[in-house]
Amino acid sequence: MAALCRVRHRWKRTNCIQLLTRNLTGTFDYDLVVIGGGSGGLACSKEAAQLGQKVAVLDYVEPSVKGTKWGIGGTCVNVGCIPKKLMHQAALLGTALKDAQKYGWQIPGPISHDWSTMAEAVQNHVRSLNWGHRVQLQDKEVKYLNVKGSLVDEHTVKGLTRTGKEIMLTAKNIVIATGGRPKYPTHIPGAVEHGITSDDIFWLKESPGKTLVVGASYVALECAGFLTGIGLATTVMVRSIPLRGFDQQMAGLVTDYMEAYGTKFTWRSVPKSVDKLSSGALQVTWTDEQTGKDQRDTFDSVLWAVGRAPETKTLGLEKVAVKLNKESGKILVAADESTSVPNIYAFGDIGEGRPELTPTAIKAGKLLARRLAGQTNELMNYDNVATTVFTPLEYGCVGLSEEEAESRHGKDSIEVYHAFYKPLEFTVAERDASQCYIKVVCKRGGDQRILGLHFTGPNAGEVTQGFAMGFQCGATLTHLKETVGIHPTCAEELTKVNVSKRSGLDATVTGC
Amino acid sequence: MWAFYNGRTQARGKREGRRRQSHTEMAHRLLVRRIWTLSVKDLRCLPASTSSFSTSMRSSTTPLSFISPKRTLPRSLPHTSRREVSFNVQDHEDFTERVINSDLPVLIDFHAQWCGPCKILGPRLEKAVAKQKGKVAMAKVDIDDHTDLAIEYGVSAVPTVIAMRGGDVIDQFVGIKDDEALDSFVSKLVGQ
Repeated sequence: MAALCRVRHRWKRTNCIQLLTRNLTGTFDYDLVVIGGGSGGLACSKEAAQLGQKVAVLDYVEPSVKGTKWGIGGTCVNVGCIPKKLMHQAALLGTALKDAQKYGWQIPGPISHDWSTMAEAVQNHVRSLNWGHRVQLQDKEVKYLNVKGSLVDEHTVKGLTRTGKEIMLTAKNIVIATGGRPKYPTHIPGAVEHGITSDDIFWLKESPGKTLVVGASYVALECAGFLTGIGLATTVMVRSIPLRGFDQQMAGLVTDYMEAYGTKFTWRSVPKSVDKLSSGALQVTWTDEQTGKDQRDTFDSVLWAVGRAPETKTLGLEKVAVKLNKESGKILVAADESTSVPNIYAFGDIGEGRPELTPTAIKAGKLLARRLAGQTNELMNYDNVATTVFTPLEYGCVGLSEEEAESRHGKDSIEVYHAFYKPLEFTVAERDASQCYIKVVCKRGGDQRILGLHFTGPNAGEVTQGFAMGFQCGATLTHLKETVGIHPTCAEELTKVNVSKRSGLDATVTGC
Repeated sequence: MWAFYNGRTQARGKREGRRRQSHTEMAHRLLVRRIWTLSVKDLRCLPASTSSFSTSMRSSTTPLSFISPKRTLPRSLPHTSRREVSFNVQDHEDFTERVINSDLPVLIDFHAQWCGPCKILGPRLEKAVAKQKGKVAMAKVDIDDHTDLAIEYGVSAVPTVIAMRGGDVIDQFVGIKDDEALDSFVSKLVGQ
């Protein structure tokens, strides 16, 4: 009975405060409060402000285990896409320097790379982006608060400052776009104490040295790729398959290239423990699942790239009964990004089943803002999203993998056209192009609608983007064949594809 | 708030004249600065704080905790009288004390680590300031360390240089200037 009274009193009190706030202002503090200032959160808040809404965005970076923190902009800007692509570029330039000599450049002596120079330049660029975002928010009249947001009730958000001060905001609508953070394999002794993640690698002031990258996701492969490219001894430890979810034939080509490029791969292996030696080096013990035996080696750094977890634990979601997917911990969302609570929305990496990509988060955020302002009913289209993996040999794709197409349509209903080609630039440089490959998965019969398009080669992102538009327009193989290629490029090989897998013929492209 | 500070200094008549003056000057500047950046919500809060002051004034003890100590208590005298021609701003309080409250006209150099042109302008500014032989001071603000301050002063691109006298913005420019243009800019600030 006493407990009931207390609960009722608390309910009454909070309701009273809410009513008080609402009566004073006649409405809520804000039309929209966005929790999370990343790609999605910023796009949504800026769009909403432009449409005349009163918006506040709450951004807060919980430091990583190693203490790394960063400014506004979210994962992409600070510890994802941007620094990754810049370091990937640094690695590619190293390869280009080696090729340069074949092209006549007189390069005296061996070329070495200085991590600190690269890291400082990359970090400075990221800082300029943080600033740019702050200025944009100011220009667009979005209130920015550097506080850790959590839900108190359907219309109230609590913000906690770094010093522990609490502020309360009320809002008509609340959007959660807090994204995710890298997972640590906490069950492995020494993993948390001695390992780092992608949150840390881009902010290291000194070279990570000889590195073990555990994982085979695109994060693992991209990091291992640029570390190898800048001259560091790098090993990738894979438990089962590389690039889960991607076309496996293409994934194999990517890892084959990396192995030829100098990255060591430890297949079918699971780390057991990480110990710090008196020298400061890290000794990793792992189990080779094929032999059942334990192996050991020392590294300067261990980078865990074993998956990402959504930032939902400290959001106070249980207070408002926002439903989560029990396994992933992500927020269950409908096609319009709404959650189980009518005025609370969630999108970006935090949404269950959503692609973990910046462009989809940005577009979804903008459309959500427009819908909330009553400007449109348009929903985000998550289909046909093109992506690229920025490994040393880049892999771009749009649409279905071969396996997925087979599973959906049946092997007999699809036709797979492919070609092994050699980029012209590789010839003089005497580079091996064995993994440069194109695959177009089509529906069999008629004009042969394209179901999936895959490309490994230099500048895969640039190549794939244009074809993604064709894909979006419902391109068929006929369309592709009717397109005249630009010569000499790698992209033109897509327009010339004509050997099917079914024919069993040699798919190697011969000279023009 | 103006009424609050004024009333308070009258109540505490024991304070020496100079401190009282800087109190009210500082309060005035803080108030002016605050008004520029007030949002509607803040405006609503203002009447509430003044009324709670008047109730506290009526009581015999004025609650010290009501005021943030950092705002009213000045730093020790030697600190305020230190004349550094060129210095890095440490925090908001430092800015208030050494820039807004400065007896000298001040050039505020908003710069960033990642800004190439800032690295060119910086030494040029130092040179121009040195030529004035102590008649003007220069406050350097790293916008990554003091983002809120930079935003408050409307900085969007760097380098941005603001000329301030008596807490008021007299002039400003964005981007690089050559030595001649800088000398003229600084002379104008000192001259008037």
